Parts: sequence; structure tokens; C-alpha cells
Amino acid sequence: MARFTRYCPEYMEDAFREQGVDAREILFAIHTDMDANGAHADAYAAVTADALLILTGEEAVTRMEGARRIVARFNARALETIPLKDIKELTNDRLVATGQLCAVNEDGSVRALLLYSVGFLGDAEKLAQTVKNIKAGSPPLQDVSVDADRFCPKCGHRYPESGHARCPRCMDKRSITLRLMGFFKLYRRKAFVVLAVMILGSAASIAVPQIGSRMLFDEVLTPGGSYFGMALAFVALIFLVRAVNVGLNMLYGYVLARTVPWIIYDLKMRIFEAMQRLSVGFYTSKRTGALMNRVNRDANNIYWFFVDGFPYLIVNGLTFAGVLTLMCVMSVKLSIVVMIAVPASVAFFRILWGFFKRFHHKNFVYGAQLNSMLSDSINGQRVIKAFAREEAEAKRFAEVGGKQAGVDVRMSNAAFTAFPLIYLFMFLGQVVVTMLGGVMVVNGELTLGSFLTFIAYLQMLYGPLEFMSWVSNWWARCVDSAQRVFEIIDAKPDVTEPERPAAVDGIRGDIVAKNVRFEYDPATPVLKGLDITVESGKMLGIVGKTGAGKSTLANLIARLYDVNEGEITIDGINVKDWPLAMLRGGIGIVSQDIYLFIGSIADNIRYANPGAGMEDVIRAAKAAAAHEFIMKLPDGYETRVGAGGQDLSGGEKQRLSIARTILQNPRILILDEATAAMDTETEAAIQASLAALSKNRTTIAIAHRLSTLRDADNLAVIEDGKVVETGNHRDLMTKMGAYFKLYKLQMEGLKVINMDAE
Amino acid sequence: MQDVESASAPLLSDAIDLGYLDPDQARFSQTPGGFLALNYKGADYPRVSVRRSLPLAMPNEYLSLADPEGKEIAILRDLSRLDADQRGLVEAELARRYYCPNVVDVKSVKDQLGYVYFELTVQGAGAPSARMCAVKDVNKNIRMLSDDDVIMFDVDGNRYRIPSLKALNAKSRKRLEPYLF
Repeated sequence: MARFTRYCPEYMEDAFREQGVDAREILFAIHTDMDANGAHADAYAAVTADALLILTGEEAVTRMEGARRIVARFNARALETIPLKDIKELTNDRLVATGQLCAVNEDGSVRALLLYSVGFLGDAEKLAQTVKNIKAGSPPLQDVSVDADRFCPKCGHRYPESGHARCPRCMDKRSITLRLMGFFKLYRRKAFVVLAVMILGSAASIAVPQIGSRMLFDEVLTPGGSYFGMALAFVALIFLVRAVNVGLNMLYGYVLARTVPWIIYDLKMRIFEAMQRLSVGFYTSKRTGALMNRVNRDANNIYWFFVDGFPYLIVNGLTFAGVLTLMCVMSVKLSIVVMIAVPASVAFFRILWGFFKRFHHKNFVYGAQLNSMLSDSINGQRVIKAFAREEAEAKRFAEVGGKQAGVDVRMSNAAFTAFPLIYLFMFLGQVVVTMLGGVMVVNGELTLGSFLTFIAYLQMLYGPLEFMSWVSNWWARCVDSAQRVFEIIDAKPDVTEPERPAAVDGIRGDIVAKNVRFEYDPATPVLKGLDITVESGKMLGIVGKTGAGKSTLANLIARLYDVNEGEITIDGINVKDWPLAMLRGGIGIVSQDIYLFIGSIADNIRYANPGAGMEDVIRAAKAAAAHEFIMKLPDGYETRVGAGGQDLSGGEKQRLSIARTILQNPRILILDEATAAMDTETEAAIQASLAALSKNRTTIAIAHRLSTLRDADNLAVIEDGKVVETGNHRDLMTKMGAYFKLYKLQMEGLKVINMDAE
Repeated sequence: MQDVESASAPLLSDAIDLGYLDPDQARFSQTPGGFLALNYKGADYPRVSVRRSLPLAMPNEYLSLADPEGKEIAILRDLSRLDADQRGLVEAELARRYYCPNVVDVKSVKDQLGYVYFELTVQGAGAPSARMCAVKDVNKNIRMLSDDDVIMFDVDGNRYRIPSLKALNAKSRKRLEPYLF
């Protein structure tokens, strides 16, 4: 596995040079981490114009300035040189936690070259690609170092995951906070008011003991004091200061409540907009699925920190500083005692807090497990009942519930012993101060009023200190959330609007795919050099087994993903050069997975064309054989569907999605198993309307059942990511190839049924 | 469910043949290209993959032998049914596919912005070596297989195993503790 250091090509060059290789000839090189038996080793694989070089050995690594590591020496063990003319191609096999680079020789034999841990798979793929480019005579990948997207250029550390827009190490807490503060910019004036009010509030709360204790006892109640005997007036003054304090708090709460929700609104809107911009690939990767679930929680984390945490941080900080200053002014001696006793008790508190956090965390995890188990059992009730597993489910639930209860008990036990002890300890500090202060009052070193004020201040110190001892965790959580949010905002979509879009005014409908290669995950190609041609207005039927890459083709034509190699053109223009909105607006896809948005049936049909009139909506529904079932629903076209709405069957939803596409009126129609979820009768009805719809429209129909494709002008059989046969039904039948085999299989299936029926 | 035996319904074991490998008719060998080859019942399979059905619980039982296209040739019920040299060949293939070094020392653990960075000493096939890895979503990617047995998955998909927590040194255990559930 990789180390988190920046890859440095110089030392690799040196290592090769020592072996007598002219490093300048190296066109591309990678660094991997194992020998052929899986033992740790450093292996460099490099490509020159005519050979593949594999150098194994050990790097001697020394740590230099900060976190950056520099390789001091490479102890080579073996160098192997394989002439490129012997190699037909390099392939990578993904194993479980490793990958294997293999060479397919010109004579067809295969040889294992290198084993590496799976993190290097992407690099090894690039190596294979380079060899392919060289053999084809096209220029190799230019950059010798492949690590640019894996190592942070600023700090030299490896990104925890590739494809990161920014380095989480470099994106330190401060810069994230500054960026979060940026959201406040729009609300500068209000933020200023909040700050001013908070400062005044702190000042008022500090003033209270000064007036309520020191002045009251020393000046008002002590004979000879400046305000001796003015007790009533003083009580009124104390009340006034309190009232001002309360008033300020109200004002502060009011201003804050009007500001922060809008900042969070801004944040959520930005996240949402960023999400709309991202490509489909972003959503299908597992990593981001979890990311999405968190968005709400993250926004809330940030919200609470800024509503609750941040203001109190300022208030508490100011109070702390103010109180401490006043204490020093009143008695330096006592202040020194305070400065020892108070931090000690806070430190003690913090240690115990860390201890509890662990319990809390475990408790939280068990709670989450219980929750998911609960939803599992609610969603799976039918299956649970069908298999009579109620008791087993209850037992499973009880097990985790028991674990959680156990942690709870331990946590409470610990809390009931520890917290009284902490408070006793804290009280001890206070006792010391009281004792010393008392002696000072008796000796006349301190007035009674000052003494009482001092005790009051002492109590005011604990709050801020306690707060500050855990606000850092809170802050860390907020920054953590913010980092994830920024990750989404900063993520770059894989599919982007062309820089210079072709000047076109609409799609005519000629589709050509040339040598298209595509993979969702490294080393697992789905399309392996696929070619198809569809003339404008014609219908191409695509058949093949599941997993042959049929649906992928549809995704690529609509540019939901970009091809890895080869090209797809529409009307002779690469899809990458089409303005995205025009391209996708001109292509209608009816696919297996249907999504209905929350809203009425009519709105869902109108989704691509919100201005369509009711007549058109009904016409589209009729064409999709959906009108009848819609009319059976009590609210007809106003029936609410989507999450929480009317439950529709798979076939019904499918018909709505067909109606939606009909209303979109695209020039290119892609039917991806559009009628697979329907009964034969409905399918026949829809087939008729689809036939009408596809007239004079370029249509690509992907199907499993050959009967669906009887109207196709041309057929293509896809197997293992390639087109193995093309032609019309008659051609393919006489060819007796893959299509013929499929046809026979399906016909035989039907025959068996007929026999049973007789 | 186990004891249902009715006259009309055939047992699953009668209906489906698992296709166990007959060790007497199988001959594994290593190809010059570095792959595992198999001669079984007279047929030659120049490149065979070995996959575990239960990689964690029963790593040496129910091993599926397949050709490069993924078509199963047979299931090896138990690795111990092979002779020592034959077993060595299959074990080497398994080690390549299921590479998962053991953690022998946890040097440092750093929790930073949603990732936990581990500095580890691991022991694979050869000498112990230092590794750094980042783990995301620790409560999903660090799993307790039993009270004592831990497996970790890092962001790259690498696996690390701690076969016995008790056998790990006290400092390492303490560093790991907050991430174990």
C-alpha cells in the first residue's frame, strides 16, 4: 500500500540509472509495493520506447523536515527487461485486496508480472494504457509521475482517497472556519450588531457582582462608605443592571435568530446546486451515497455550532478575560491561588470527559445499529412472517439492545461515582480561596465586599473554562461537517459542458459509436471496443445477455458518463461537443429504473415539458397505454405519486415514464428494456404506440425478449462488451450465429409451455 | 426447517450437485507464466482462480475453482484433503488473491477530519514492514469478527487483520480501543 508521501520521480530515475538504464528514455513509470509472493517490496515498473523494465528491491526511507519523506537509497534486487515487441498487451486483474499486472505475449501465453496492493490499480492501468499507446504508435501519456491527482501538491501527503478536490490535511481547521465565516459576509451588519450586543452583555454580567457585592457591602452597608445608607437606590440599580442584561440577551437572540437560518439556507442551497451539477457517476459511487445522507446532518452541525457554540465562545472568552483582570486588580495574591486551582479542576474534568466520550460513542453506535435493525424489520415484515422468523428477529434485536443497555449501565455507574468527585474537587479549590480570603479580610488586607465579589467571580470562571474544555470538540465536529460540505461544493463533475460547444440548432439523429471502451470501476471494462451505427429515423435493436453492456451504451449516448476511449458522435459531432442541455433534451430514455417525483401524475408526465397542456398529457398517457389505469384511480390525473403517494405497480410506473418521454418528443429515443416489467397484453398495447412513436425517429431499443424488437430495421448482438453480429432479422437467422442461438432458445422456451398446455 | 422430510419433495442435496472436486483426479501445477493450472479428469485448465466462499470464517473450506471466465470447475471442500505439495500451490494462489497482512504493531493513530490515519507495522509473507493507511467510517470499516479478532479496510480497499487482540502489545491495543465495537 502506498505511503502518504509525495512521489518523487528523481530517486526512481537514479535507481534505474544505477542499473545501467538511461533514465531519459523512460516514458512512464509507476511504483508498487509487493513482490510476486505478496511480501513487502518496492517495485518500479517503467516503460521505454521498446521495453518494459521491472526493478524490484527495497527503498531505504528517511524522514526529513516535517512530514515529507525523502528516499535516501534504493537497494535493487533484480531488474527484468521485457522487449515490448514480445508483449501483445498488458492487463490488470483485480483480485480481492490486490491487483496483478499480466503480460499477454504475442504467442498468446499470459505471464504474471507484478502483484500490488489494490490502491495501485489505477496507476497500473495507466501503465497498461501507455504500453498500448506506444504499440499503436500514438504518443504515450506525457507525465512520468502519475501521482499528481493522488498527492497534495501543497503538503506532499497522499490524499486519503483519490479524486479529492482538496487535501483534508491542508484544508486545516482555520481555513475552513474562514470559509465558513465567508458566509457571514453578506450579513456583515447583523453580525456586527450581534457582536456588539454580546460584548455589552458580557460587560453587564461582569458588572453585576461589582455593584451587587463589592459596592453594596463596602460602600452602602459599611458606615463611612461613599453611598452609606442608600440601600433602596442600590437595590434599584442592581435590578436595572440585571434588566439591561436581560434586554441585551433578548436583542442578541432576536438578531441571531434572524441571521443564522439564512446563512444555513445559503449553505443548503449551494450544496443542492452543486449536487445538481454533478455527474451521475458521483451518485452511484458508494462513497458519495453516504456523503449525501450526511448533508442534512452536516448542515445542522454547522447550524448549531454557529447558533450555540460560536456566540458562547465569544461571550465566555470575554467574560473569562474580564473576570480574571478584575480579580487581579482586586487581589493579586488570591488570583494566583485561583489560577492554580481552577485549571487543575478543569483538567481533571476534561480527563473524565474523554473517558465518557468513549462510552457515549459506543452507545451511539449501538443506537444506530438498533435503528437500522428496526427499519430492517419494518421493511422486511412480509419476509419475516413468510419464513416465520419473528422470534429470531426479536432475539437479534434483544442482543444489540442488551449490549446498549450494558454500556448504559456502565456509563451511569461511572457517572454517579465520577461527577460528584469532580464537583467535590472543584469545591476544594473554592474552599482554599475562601479560607485564604477569609484570613485576608480578618487581617484587613481585603474588604468584605471585595471578598464576596471575588467569590462570585470565582464561580463565574468555572462556566467559561468548562465550556472551553469541550467546545474544541464541538468545533472539530463542525469543521468536519463543513469539510464534507465543501467537498461536495468543490467536487468537479466528470461530465462537463464543452468549452466551445458546436454551433448546432437541433438533433437530426445519426448516431455512430466507434471503438467505444468504458469501465465504471478500474480494471473491470464493460464495453470493449463497441461499434454501432444508426441512421437518422431508423430503429436499431440491441440484444444480449444481462451485463453485456447494453444499458451502459444508453448512458453513454446521453452522456451521463463519458467514454474512456473511442467516440460517440451524433450527426457527425462528438457528443462531448454538443451543448449538454440540447443533447439531453433531444434524447429520450425510457429505462428499467423509473423515478416518479412527489407530485401529481399529470406533473410527472409533464416533467420534461412543464408547459404542456392537459390535452397533450392525456394524449401521451393514451399513447403509453396509461390512460385507463389512471382513470381508475379516484383522483385521476391529480393522484399524488412518488414518496408517500399512491402505490403504483412496476408496469404502471413504466407506462407513466413512457408517457413522460412521449411528451418530451425527443429526436432520439432509447428504449432500455422499456416493456420488460409488463404483462404480455399491456406490452402489446405499448408496442403499438411505441411503434407509432418511433416512426421517423432514431430509435435504439434494448431488449431481452426478441419479440420486442420485431420492428427494428437493424439488429446488433452485444456479447462481452462488443458487437458480435449485425444485420436484420432475416440476415441473422440465415447466419446461424449468436442471434440465431438466442432466438432458438427463446422459441424453445415457448414451445415447452405450449406442450404443457396441450 | 432442518428435519422436514416428506415423501414427495426431494431433498435439496438430491436436486443440486455441488460439484465437489475429487482430489484423486486433480493435479495442480504452476505455469511458467506464474499462474495456477489444473488438470482435472483429463481436462487441462491452464489458468485457474481459487475463491473462498467464506473468506473470514472458513478460509480453507468450500474453495471455488474457476476458469478465467469465472465458470466454476469444481468446489474444493477442504484444503486439507490435498497432498502437501498440491496444497502449497493452492495456498500460494489464495495468498495472492486474499492478501491481508497481520498487524503486529500500531505505532500511531490520528483522527483527522473524518479519516483515521494509522501508522502500522504489518507482517505479510515476508519481513514486517511499515504501512500507513487511512480508514473512513471506522465503525463500518473496522470490524470485530469475534471478541478478539479484528479486520480493517482502508480507503484503497486494502485489508489488515488482527487475529488476536490479546496477543497485540498493550500500547497498540490501547490506541485501537476507541475504534473497536
